[in-house]
Amino acid sequence: MLENCIALGNSAQGFFIKSDRFKTTYVTYNFFLPLEKENVAHFALLPFILTTCGKEYPDFSKLNFKLNKLYSASLSASAEKVGDYQLLRVGISVIDDKYALDGEELVNKAVELLNSLVFEPRVENNSFFTEDVEREKRKAIEHIRGELAEKRLYARSRLIEEMYKDDVYGIPKCGTEKQVKEITAESLYKAWEDMLSRAALIVNVISDSLPQNVFDGIKSRLLSIDRSGAITVNESKPTRPLYASKRVEEKMDVAQGKLVMGFSMDAVSDDRKNAAVTVMCDIFGGGPYSRLFNYVREKLSLCYYCSANSEKRKGLLIVDSGVEVQNAKKAESEILRQLEIVKAGRFTDFEFESSKKSIINALNSYGDHQEAVDSWYTIKSAMSNPISPEDFATVIAKVGRNEVIDAAKTVKLHTVYNLIPKEAQ
Amino acid sequence: MEKQIFESDIGESYTLAALQNGLKVYICEKPYYSSAYAVFGTKYGSVDTAFSKNGGDTICVPEGIAHFLEHKLFESEDGDAFSKYAKTGAMANAFTSFDRTCYLFSCSDNFDENLEILLDFVQSPYFTKETVEKEQGIIGQEIRMYDDSPSWRVLFNMLSAMYVNHPVKIDIAGTVESISKIDSDLLYKCYETFYNPSNMFICIAGNVDTKQVLKKIESSVKNSEKIDIHRAGIDEPSTVNKNYVEQKFPVLTPMFCYGFKQKIESPYRRIKSKVCVELLLEIICGEASPLYKRLMDEGLINDEFDFEYFTGRDYASIIFSGESQEPKRVAEEISKEIANIREHGFDKKLFSAVKCSLYGDAVRSFNSVESIALSLTDCAVSDFDLFEKIKFLKTVSYDDVLKRIDIFDDELSVLSVISPLEENA
Repeated sequence: MLENCIALGNSAQGFFIKSDRFKTTYVTYNFFLPLEKENVAHFALLPFILTTCGKEYPDFSKLNFKLNKLYSASLSASAEKVGDYQLLRVGISVIDDKYALDGEELVNKAVELLNSLVFEPRVENNSFFTEDVEREKRKAIEHIRGELAEKRLYARSRLIEEMYKDDVYGIPKCGTEKQVKEITAESLYKAWEDMLSRAALIVNVISDSLPQNVFDGIKSRLLSIDRSGAITVNESKPTRPLYASKRVEEKMDVAQGKLVMGFSMDAVSDDRKNAAVTVMCDIFGGGPYSRLFNYVREKLSLCYYCSANSEKRKGLLIVDSGVEVQNAKKAESEILRQLEIVKAGRFTDFEFESSKKSIINALNSYGDHQEAVDSWYTIKSAMSNPISPEDFATVIAKVGRNEVIDAAKTVKLHTVYNLIPKEAQ
Repeated sequence: MEKQIFESDIGESYTLAALQNGLKVYICEKPYYSSAYAVFGTKYGSVDTAFSKNGGDTICVPEGIAHFLEHKLFESEDGDAFSKYAKTGAMANAFTSFDRTCYLFSCSDNFDENLEILLDFVQSPYFTKETVEKEQGIIGQEIRMYDDSPSWRVLFNMLSAMYVNHPVKIDIAGTVESISKIDSDLLYKCYETFYNPSNMFICIAGNVDTKQVLKKIESSVKNSEKIDIHRAGIDEPSTVNKNYVEQKFPVLTPMFCYGFKQKIESPYRRIKSKVCVELLLEIICGEASPLYKRLMDEGLINDEFDFEYFTGRDYASIIFSGESQEPKRVAEEISKEIANIREHGFDKKLFSAVKCSLYGDAVRSFNSVESIALSLTDCAVSDFDLFEKIKFLKTVSYDDVLKRIDIFDDELSVLSVISPLEENA
């Protein structure tokens, strides 16, 4: 798996993850920046504008023609929130040279293409081109609006907004529509320069062999940039528990209500505590053996889905469910009752063992998915020592019941968000 | 047992074994992988609403019963299958589509035990009045959840407008009303017809031993007598119900599905014609096409834009979908481009590029054991060789693709739009 780790410059590292399972080589650039209200929308637009055109490929038809000729080399772009950081990702996946029908060189060409897109965008006079920026702004706004239309996502993002009103974690990962509208071709250029000089950078290469000069190429590009102010990724500010939980209700024209509950818990930094919280959260509301699935959904038929997931760096646990309005109160008290059962250690051995087995099964399958391997090492490398998924599986196996109970005891209800159908008034 | 081995020059192979009872087993070994993915499926989906067995009377069953049966099969007399999988740690699931129902698991350990659980519960139906009633509640909530999903509604509104009689137009889960008519007697009738081994298949990809797996399957699958299933013919006219359908929804950006119903002469499309249509769609509006650039530059589409060749037994249509402020203009532009290609043909360089691209995608699909196993289910349902696509892409000609332009007929087109409520507009 992780073959070597190379320093590429100040706060920049390259990882080569060797794997002979795949028919493709996957290279990703991962830029970590602090979540900042004034910059979030600008930064979030960068992965997308950088992967739709470049100096060599002034429009995306030409760029996509090139990608097609590279046998469907595929560019990926995303902006995510990881704890108190914004993670901007740009990557390329390409089939290995041996599969090319006419002996074409594919991998090196794809790596060159990715580097040129990141470091040589389509710009002039310290500015992107207005038509490119306006197109990406429109797409970003439509994406933000699209997420508002999917009520499950909407309800979750509303909960986070309510929970973190005075905390950077409450900043939406792509900014607001208003912030996107304010972006100009010049201000985006400044953001691109800012990203290259200030972001902590992880470059992952997942392949059966390391493409020649891939890291040297990046190193020399980074040398021409002043990265003396590059950040390091630290722990996120933990979620502050509330003395009395908060309630938020909203009415909307929907058929089914949404109940989303946010809990604070102790944030974790070491692998063993991380493992204990992972198991706790899974026993509570993970697979079909979990308390929420079996009691809230199966035994009481209160909702079609009801599950728990966590952002451990932030000390946040979320339960979300789709409920009929007449069941919302009952579902809420049952969810809280199940949490008390986990805290009191009254979960069964079956639930405890099933949960561990299921997590271990998933971790041991990670190596079969190139994207999963990439995400794993990106997050692990930036946040802590990069433990492999397989090694983390052995940590999970060692977690004891008491560690799970201790983890559960730190969980406290913070905010309840209820989306109620209008007709139910 | 009859066995056949299929090989490809991209270094992949699989075995197809046909058992005495008619069951077909497909196994693709991936020795370097950690995990394996297995599917036990039946050629039975939401469109099978009227049928007869061994020349008996035709029975009509309520809409959504195949999906209902899928939910219920997880329960056996000695507990539910999820609890059994929980002991091994496997990830298990199931899905029902228009033409098939599949039960699956993926695991990185205990493959034999998991296979035994899969073979056992799919062959052990257990339905009672009480369990059927409980499921009516849970599925009712699932249906209501989909009622709130604009992306689901925009598709089914289009299918309802396009198809006069074909059951492909009905929601896979049925309606709250239709599932209220389901009882255990009807479930057994459907089970005894469609879950006969001669109508079923098993598809496995991953770190497994073919010989050992076949031995296990042979000893665990019931030796039921083959039966003759007759699906009632569907009298589907070559017209559509209406060309335009619109629904108001709490969305901010309108969504659309623009479909062309295809006049068909045989129940299934062969793989070669599917590949030709896929290539043609890339040429009409793939990311490297002139039309895609035009639509993007004019702000008419965003990254959600997509297209597919939607085909199964006795139905075929082409669907363009996405978000747009002006869905009608998008539809007009697509129709104009089709007319343009009909008259002038298309760029040969673009043809060669999209051929490379589809070839690359086909190679890439062998990265994932899940993708291989699910593609093998397509082979089982439509009876073709998994490598046929890769082989054909090497030889397909310009003319092969151009002649498919005749499947588009504006009179058989349907535009379905989800538009914002007045208050959101």
